[in-house]
Amino acid sequence: MQKSLANNSLGKKLIAPIAILLALGMPLYVRGAEYPLMLACIIQLYVVAVSGLDILFGYCGQISLGHAAFYAIGAYGSAILHNNFGLPILFTMFVAATLAALVGAVLAIPASKLVFHFLSLATVAFGEIVYQFIVHSPGGITKDFNGIFSARLSIFGFEFSTYRLWYYFGLACVIVFLTAKYFLVHSKTGRAFTAIRENSHAANGMGINVRKYKVMAFATSAFYTAFAGAMYIHLVGYVHPDTFLRKQSVLFLTMLLFGGTGSLTGPILGVISVELLIESLRVLQDYQGFVYGILLLIVIVALPGGLFGGFKNVWNLLAGRLGKRRGGAGAC
Amino acid sequence: MLTTDKVTVKFGGLTAVNQVSVHVEAHRITGLIGPNGAGKTTFFNCISGVYRPNSGSVIFEGNHIEGKKPYQVNRAGISRTYQIINLFKKMNVLENVLVGMHPRLKSGYLSDMFRTPSQRREEKAAYERAYEWLKFVDLQDHALDPAGSLSYGKQRLLEIARSLASTPKLILLDEPAAGMNSKEKEELDELLKRILELGVTVLMVEHDMKLVMGICHYLNVLSEGKLLAKGTPSEIQNNPDVIQAYLGGE
Ligand SMILES: Nc1ncnc2c1ncn2[C@@H]1O[C@H](COP(=O)(O)OP(=O)(O)O)[C@@H](O)[C@H]1O
Ligand SMILES: [Mg+2]
Repeated sequence: MQKSLANNSLGKKLIAPIAILLALGMPLYVRGAEYPLMLACIIQLYVVAVSGLDILFGYCGQISLGHAAFYAIGAYGSAILHNNFGLPILFTMFVAATLAALVGAVLAIPASKLVFHFLSLATVAFGEIVYQFIVHSPGGITKDFNGIFSARLSIFGFEFSTYRLWYYFGLACVIVFLTAKYFLVHSKTGRAFTAIRENSHAANGMGINVRKYKVMAFATSAFYTAFAGAMYIHLVGYVHPDTFLRKQSVLFLTMLLFGGTGSLTGPILGVISVELLIESLRVLQDYQGFVYGILLLIVIVALPGGLFGGFKNVWNLLAGRLGKRRGGAGAC
Repeated sequence: MLTTDKVTVKFGGLTAVNQVSVHVEAHRITGLIGPNGAGKTTFFNCISGVYRPNSGSVIFEGNHIEGKKPYQVNRAGISRTYQIINLFKKMNVLENVLVGMHPRLKSGYLSDMFRTPSQRREEKAAYERAYEWLKFVDLQDHALDPAGSLSYGKQRLLEIARSLASTPKLILLDEPAAGMNSKEKEELDELLKRILELGVTVLMVEHDMKLVMGICHYLNVLSEGKLLAKGTPSEIQNNPDVIQAYLGGE
């Protein structure tokens, strides 16, 4: 009985996300399907990034319009550590993500006092600062406007030289990060995040150090998104600073809201649908901001809870009908 | 157990709490009554750390707690419920109680993220204890319902369970019977006695005079921010100032 109360059997909750991601790997079995395979890899790293944003926004209720900055710190940090100091790539990815988590924590200490609107402004400003730092870096360490090259992923001398190989690495990352997210949100720490989102006054009254937990949410979120940035540079081999404009932060938030906040599956659905949509609308590239705007409007007006919320409602409706037919046993 | 000394809280020009000194005896139910706007909730907010008093002190078990943050006051052993219900509405009933247990759980960020064996054991025990708290207030049948879906009276009970879950020494109840029907009020009366049996001291704001006079050992009366009277229920009932304040105030 306790188990059903806790509702935290990991297997059940992870089935849907993993199934979706395995389905994404279909191009693996098609010869010469390089482009869809690359897209699948990009989707995987975006899933890590957006799941991180979900911890902050979906669970803890804190907005960020500056997550591209963490993405950048991950990408540049890992590239620079690898290029300039010859450190092994997986290690540099972790160091860069840890650095981003520290930056996130430092940002959150003052920012945790701000309410929603002011927090969005502060995070926008943070994104701008990091962008300016990249394009006017001390000693040109980021190669400024030229962008930076780095090596493709290799671990212990094994080179992930094709998208096919990288796909398995991406899948492993997604599983590790989603499992950690699942553990975290179903724990004392995750309950504190959610309590802050629901009612920060009451959370404080219940003995939760609200500021400390907001800082933890920011740092965790920054780690995820920065790690995704590091995945990106060692997938593509190159990044340009314009990858980290505010547009990218808005993209993360659009994916999250469109897929649905506060779950494992929502961010995955959001990343896949928005990414595929953008790819199929390549001709409209100059109007990406416009597309994001429309997607956000759809979510806000017609689909609160995002795609995942919509699916769940339909599912509950169907299950409810079936349950009633069977005599209402479906309620439990 | 708790003593306030000349506590004053001002909102701009308005003195909501004016030089209030009260004493709460351990293992008793102490009442705080007074007309609407008398400053009772503000006084609670002062004890629980929501407001820092403009002057005066709050002493709990020999330590000054005025000016401490709400979460620090909670850790010191004072927990509370709210007049305006303040539940975590989208979390289920059981999770609300688990949040109440927060300061008593030892696991930390990393052990939560990696779900270490000791974290797992603690969580399992926590779920069982949370369920016991729900039984204590008779909400066990609603364990998995969203807190926001409960009836008004049941939400009040959940507020009590949530604050008991931190195993406080003193619990502050702000109008626990508001919105309850007469049957629920009788159950509340009985629940208050069981809370006392747990060894928890109670300080309660309540308008229902039948409940207050029947269960409180000692009463303090606030009016327009000032302490008007204090004494046993029978002393208060016969106090002409109190009668005047209640009749003249409304
Ligand atoms: N945050 C606040 N800002 C300004 N005035 C307040 C605030 N909180 C309460 N008051 C005022 O203080 C007085 C006491 O209010 P309150 O403590 O809620 O009374 P009670 O709980 O006894 O009904 C009222 O006049 C109320 O309007
Ligand atoms: Mg009040």
